Amino acid sequence: MSNVVVGHKVVVARGSQIAIAASDFTIPQGKITAIIGPNGSGKSTLLHAIAGLLPVSSGTLTVLDETPVASQSRISYVLQYTTVPSGTPLTVAEAVAMARYPGLGLFGRASKEDKKNVASAMERLKITDLAKRHLTELSGGQRQRVYVAQGIAQDHAILLLDEPLTGLDITSAKTIDSIIHEEPDRGCSVVLTTHDLEEARAADHVILTAGRVVAFGKPQDVLTTENLTNAYGLGSLHEHKATDLILPTEHHLGDHSH
Amino acid sequence: MVEWFLDPFALGFQQRALAGGILAGLMTAVVGTWLVLRGMSFFGDAFVHGIVPGVAAAVVFDINPLLGAAAAALVMVLAIELVNRQTALGEDTSIGLLFVGMLALGVIIISRVDSYSGSLTTILFGDALGVTSQDLIIQAILAVVVISAATLFYRPLLALSFNADKAQLWGLNPKRAHAALLVLIAAAVIGSFQSVGTLLVFGLLVGPPATAALISRTVPRMMLTAAIISVFSVWIGLTLSYHLNTAGSATMAIVPIVLFFVVLAFTRLRTLRREKVMSNV
Repeated sequence: MSNVVVGHKVVVARGSQIAIAASDFTIPQGKITAIIGPNGSGKSTLLHAIAGLLPVSSGTLTVLDETPVASQSRISYVLQYTTVPSGTPLTVAEAVAMARYPGLGLFGRASKEDKKNVASAMERLKITDLAKRHLTELSGGQRQRVYVAQGIAQDHAILLLDEPLTGLDITSAKTIDSIIHEEPDRGCSVVLTTHDLEEARAADHVILTAGRVVAFGKPQDVLTTENLTNAYGLGSLHEHKATDLILPTEHHLGDHSH
Repeated sequence: MVEWFLDPFALGFQQRALAGGILAGLMTAVVGTWLVLRGMSFFGDAFVHGIVPGVAAAVVFDINPLLGAAAAALVMVLAIELVNRQTALGEDTSIGLLFVGMLALGVIIISRVDSYSGSLTTILFGDALGVTSQDLIIQAILAVVVISAATLFYRPLLALSFNADKAQLWGLNPKRAHAALLVLIAAAVIGSFQSVGTLLVFGLLVGPPATAALISRTVPRMMLTAAIISVFSVWIGLTLSYHLNTAGSATMAIVPIVLFFVVLAFTRLRTLRREKVMSNV
C-alpha cells in the first residue's frame, strides 16, 4: 500500500507554540483517514501542514512525493463552515464555481469541462436546486454541503476535510458521509478530522493526536483503550474509573501502534 | 421643476464639482466594495485620516497635495505592518495608533500655517467647487486605473474575501491580492480627497457599498449598485447643497448614509412581512 503523505519527526508550530511535537505518521493512498483527538490536540494543525498552509518547523513532511506547498494544486481542502464568512454576496453556484479558479487563473473562461465538474459536484451534494440561493440564506448544513461541493469540484488527488460532519442536520451529514466514502473509488485519498469515535472506527486508517501523533494505523490497532486514555487523559470510553487512569506522559505519548 | 435640477450645474465650476464627485464616487464604490467585504472599514477610516499630514505638509511647502498624500499613505501602511510584525497587538490597535498619530501630526503641521482653520477644513471636507480641469484629468486617469485594476483582480480579491487559506490553495496569492487592495484604496483616496475631502472620502468608501450589500446577491452587482448609489449621492448632494446653501462635500457624503438606513428599514420591513405571510400559511 503506497502512501500519499509521509511525516518523519514532523514538528509544527502556531506562532511561538508547538502545536504538533515530533511525530511520525503516514496516510495511505485511496483510503479514508480519520484524524481524531481532543480539542486543541493539533488535528486542524496537521491538516493545515499537509495542505502547505503551515510550514513544518522541523522534520520532513512529504505530500504526493513533494513538499506540501509544491503539491497544493492537487490538494482540495474543505474548511470548517464556521470559519468561512457567510456575508460575502455569493450565490451557491458561484461559490462552487470558484473551485475551478486554479485552472482558470486571473482571466481564463470556464470551459465545458469546468461547468460539467461544477454541475456534477452540486448534483452529488444535492444542492442543484439551491444554485441561485445566497449563502446567507442557507442553513449550516446546506452551507457545509456547498463547501464540500466546492472541494470536490476542484481537481484533486487528496481531499482534506476539517470536521465535515460536526453539528450538521441528518440530511447534510448523510450526504457528505456518502461523498467521503465515494471519493476513494474515484482514486482520491480522503483525510478528515473528527471528534466522533464511531466515525474514526469507520475509517480505513486513523491518526490519534494529543499535541503529537500518539498512534497511527488501522482503527482497531489505534483506538485502543490505552491509546485513547493517553490521548484524552480521562478515559473517554468510561471503561476505567477515573482513579485507575494514568495521565499522559512523554513516554506514553511517544508510543506508536503500526 | 426641471430648473430645480439644472440650476445647480449651470456654471463651469459647478459642472466640474459634479464631474469630480462622480469620478470620486465611481472609484470609491468599486474599491469600497472590497473594503467592506474584507471587513476593513476601520482601516479605511484610519487611512483617509492618515494622509492628512502629507497633504498638510504639501500645503506648508507648496508642493502637489497628491504627492504629499501618496507619501503619507505609504508611511501609514508601512507603519501598520511594522507594528503588526514587531508586536503581538491586534491589527485594530496598530491601525488605531497610526490613525490618531497621523491625524495629530497633520493638525500640528497645518497649525503652522496662518490660515490654519481654513486649510484644515479644506483638507478634511474638500473643496468640491474648487476642482480644476487639471484635477479632473488626474482624477479621471486614477479612476480608470483603479476601476480596471479592481476588475482585473476580481478573482484573487473574491477568493481573499471568501477565505485567505482557500485563496492560497487555489494559487491566487492572498498576500499579493491584499497588497494590491491597499494600493487601490490609497489610489482611490488620493484621487478623491480634493473633491470630497479626506474625512468624507470615507463616507463614499463605506456608505454606498454597505447599502449595496443589503440588496445585492453577487459581488459584481454590489459594485454596480454601489456605483449607482455613489453617483446619485454626489448629484443629489450637490443639488441639495445648492438649494439649501450647505457645504457641498458634506451634503454629498451624508446622502449614502441616509440611504443606508432607508434601505435597511425597507429590507427589514420586507423580511418581517414575508415572515408574517409564512407564519399565516
